[in-house]
Amino acid sequence: MPTLIIDNQSVTVPEGTNVLEAAQQLGIVVPHFCYHEALGAVGACRLCAMLFIDGPVKGMQMSCMVEAKDGMVVSTEAPEAVAYRGQVIEWLMLNHPHDCPVCDEGGECQLQDMTVASGHSVRRYTGKKRTYLNQDLGPFIHHEMNRCIQCYRCVRTYQDYCGGTDYGVLGSNQRLYFGRFQDGPLESPFAGNLIDLCPTGVLTNKPYRFTSRFWDLQEAPSVCPHCSLGCATIPGARFRELQRVRSGNNPEVNGCFICDRGRFGYDYVNHLDRPRTPLLHGEEIPWSEALETLLQRLKKLIECHGSDSIALLGSGRASLEANYLLQRLSEQLGSAAPVYGSHAGRDRAARVATTLPTELSASLADVRNSDLILLTGADPLAEGPMLALAIRQAVRKGARVMICDPRPVELPCSAEYLACQPQELLQLLSALFQGETLPIKLQPLAEALQQAQRPVLIGGGDLLGAEGNTALLAAAQKLNREERPCLAMVLLPEANSFGAALLAADGPDFEQLLADMASGRIKALLCLEADPLTDCPDRQHLLQGLEQLNFLVVLDHLPSLIAAKADLLLPTTALAEGAGTLINNEGRMLAFTPAFSPGEPLRITGQGNHPPRSFSTTTPGALPCQAWAVLAELCDLPVDLAKIQRDLATQEPRLAGLPDLLAEGSGQLIQSADKPLAQPQARRTDQVDALQLLVCETLYGSELLSAHSAPLDPVRPQPYLLLHELDADRLGIAADDLVRLSAGEIQLTLPAQLSDRMAAGIVIVPRLRRTELESFYPGQPSQPCRVEKVSAP
Amino acid sequence: MNLWRDIKGTFQPFWVTLRYLFKRPVTISYPEQKRTPPPRYRARMILTRDPEGEERCVACHLCSAACPVDCISMQAAEREDGRRQAAWFRINFARCIYCGLCAEACPTMAIQMSPEYELGNRDPLKLVWEKEDLLVDHGGKDPNYHFYRHSGIGVAAPRGGNDDELPPVNIKTNLP
Ligand code: SF4
Ligand code: SF4
Ligand code: SF4
Ligand code: SF4
Ligand code: FES
Repeated sequence: MPTLIIDNQSVTVPEGTNVLEAAQQLGIVVPHFCYHEALGAVGACRLCAMLFIDGPVKGMQMSCMVEAKDGMVVSTEAPEAVAYRGQVIEWLMLNHPHDCPVCDEGGECQLQDMTVASGHSVRRYTGKKRTYLNQDLGPFIHHEMNRCIQCYRCVRTYQDYCGGTDYGVLGSNQRLYFGRFQDGPLESPFAGNLIDLCPTGVLTNKPYRFTSRFWDLQEAPSVCPHCSLGCATIPGARFRELQRVRSGNNPEVNGCFICDRGRFGYDYVNHLDRPRTPLLHGEEIPWSEALETLLQRLKKLIECHGSDSIALLGSGRASLEANYLLQRLSEQLGSAAPVYGSHAGRDRAARVATTLPTELSASLADVRNSDLILLTGADPLAEGPMLALAIRQAVRKGARVMICDPRPVELPCSAEYLACQPQELLQLLSALFQGETLPIKLQPLAEALQQAQRPVLIGGGDLLGAEGNTALLAAAQKLNREERPCLAMVLLPEANSFGAALLAADGPDFEQLLADMASGRIKALLCLEADPLTDCPDRQHLLQGLEQLNFLVVLDHLPSLIAAKADLLLPTTALAEGAGTLINNEGRMLAFTPAFSPGEPLRITGQGNHPPRSFSTTTPGALPCQAWAVLAELCDLPVDLAKIQRDLATQEPRLAGLPDLLAEGSGQLIQSADKPLAQPQARRTDQVDALQLLVCETLYGSELLSAHSAPLDPVRPQPYLLLHELDADRLGIAADDLVRLSAGEIQLTLPAQLSDRMAAGIVIVPRLRRTELESFYPGQPSQPCRVEKVSAP
Repeated sequence: MNLWRDIKGTFQPFWVTLRYLFKRPVTISYPEQKRTPPPRYRARMILTRDPEGEERCVACHLCSAACPVDCISMQAAEREDGRRQAAWFRINFARCIYCGLCAEACPTMAIQMSPEYELGNRDPLKLVWEKEDLLVDHGGKDPNYHFYRHSGIGVAAPRGGNDDELPPVNIKTNLP
């Protein structure tokens, strides 16, 4: 641990720290461009110059390129260093277009800050400026090359960190160009990080273009609601509109990066059809009346049909607090415990995930540091995109990745792919648990597991189901030894699936609720940010059950299908408008805080022009309330989030840390359950001959919230069907042929895509919301299907 | 000597009034008579145009950021040719304190103080001016300045086409 002196202050830093980081530790602001905590140093910008007065190196040096050593005496304020940095800025500004007023980076531009800080204000050089032509980089990123300062951060972000291959540095000499070989959309699903990482206005957010200035945005630390990983984000709003999302920094989860689904999926908050007033049978009513009606109706139904006639449905979209208050409400009404999640299979899988002891639970930071990653039935890019990036960081440090999956799982890094049938995954996991020898084709895996020092087993709840998750966790526990830890991670469907499953404990699941509804016993259903009509695979029974209801109450902020049917619709706030807690797939409690208050965006009220010229004391569309607050009122509890959290923490000892949770920081792991892990059942597998239909999530288009986001429209895939080349040959199908898929009662005509990097005998369709593929549900066992070529008309 | 002070205080003002009865008045009878303020007088703002007759304002938000009473609001938008403009631009003159900081902050010389001071009104909404009301058809105090001719991002001139710019580089050449 070297100790050095910077600006007359002494600091001790870990071995391998560079002098720039050491200075930052002292709180000294060091001007820099090319150094970034996640990317490291390359010494390209020459701005971090310091004067090394004593020690192993002397003279003017780039502090990011010098490793801190004992005995160093360094000055950041020496007149030579200040003058040197001023000169560097002046050079960088030689060719700069000086267009801050029309640059979206203005106000949060590192170049602006450094230029002002260095005192440079007049361009003394009288020569002409170098210019470039820009490229069209697709729907997310705007390119303005004239503003570039050649710091290489974009290349290091895109190629090194994110594993993209279609963007880089071209040209030579004075003509360095940062872009693609030719115009075209950036291919990486993490390309949006370029916006955050480029210190200037070269790469800016296209959907947000010319929308607001940084200083006008209302921002707050928040959590991404678009998958179960719970990345830290900072949503920014203005004029009652959520306008952009940038990455927060949670070192245990996402680091400084987020995926493009998280970055551009925000627009559901501004959706035109979003419910904004309480509606009773389609008529607007005031909140007080709505809540009164709700309680009266429920009481009346309880009087007539008993308290069993009321059912409450929570979800993995709603916050932990709101889901908890649903329990309190059920206690108050005397009805059965709430059901969490409208997809029984996914709910059961999530409940298994909550049993994992925390010391075995892998965070994304653990994944980044592991040396063997086994993916069984998990498709990171689709089910938790930032996991793919975490895996890439492990691979960059030499880790091996093995994918056992029926789907052609792609990663932004090298990986060994072993095509497995869905039932083989279970066999593999229980063999790992039993310590049996693996089948021949999985031998490489067995060897790799032998050698690995820090392996992580990752499973996808959708493909593995409850049974597979049980086997995965048990296998991890079995392989975990004192000298060789083995961690596990399960991907879940929704941001708070873990929290909802934790509250569900041994309670009823949606299948039981369906049966009760179908039998006519349930008279009233209250859905808390849950939409069974899009999530419940058993649609027919569900529709029957809904027919029999007397009273359907929906609390939601999405224009969901069930909201359209509700007798009483209570508008709630979206995540960025409220406070609360989510628990991510690792069991980490993550707090989010409100960035802005709900209201109809000015863009809608003003119809693109200036705001209406009238005075009013109310804000249009400002009626949505936080779901937990509505439920607290219903339960006659004080509307106080902290108190609710304290109650919850006392009631559920695993959540003891909840009251101390801070929104900034890395969240807090819940406590382990005191029950031992369940043992996987030995399983007999049937040989299947027919083609099996497997429904899968995709990166864009499957997740509910982002499916309502306009900026993602250009990248949402069109419906397709994926077949193994061998099967296609057998059926006489070529790529892009139209094929008819018959599964159960559904018949669809889809274009075929072929792959040889998937399990044979499997037909894969993506779950694409708001397309004809919406009627297929992931998280189900594969079902037999038929595929035939549609003869040309 | 309080008594003497009181007596003096009673009579001196009358004496002053009496003296001024015989001097020329300094006031004018507004509104029948009007004064021409000097050209640099700081009264209500205008939005000027560049030498080509286009709106100068690029909706950069600097004036609204500089404004100490927050009376300027706007929304930027992109025109088809890439020009950044205000979709709407609003000044609430009921709030404005005519400090001139917005005009000082404006990087494009768009917003300028004009000598027009007659804004008195009984309806507060009439003091809320939109872009259409603020726009004038001249360049104000600095008629020749053209922002896009100095900041090269290819809006008024083609990329690399301004006086102080070189033509766009050929990134595919390997020549030194
Ligand atoms: S990159 Fe920064 S310095 Fe350059 S125009 Fe944009 S805001 Fe101004
Ligand atoms: S595009 Fe941005 S990140 Fe890349 S080199 Fe230029 S200034 Fe740096
Ligand atoms: S990985 Fe998941 S939580 Fe993270 S940004 Fe992407 S969608 Fe959001
Ligand atoms: S500072 Fe000038 S250019 Fe910028 S918004 Fe205000 S008037 Fe327009
Ligand atoms: S930060 Fe050290 S040279 Fe750029």
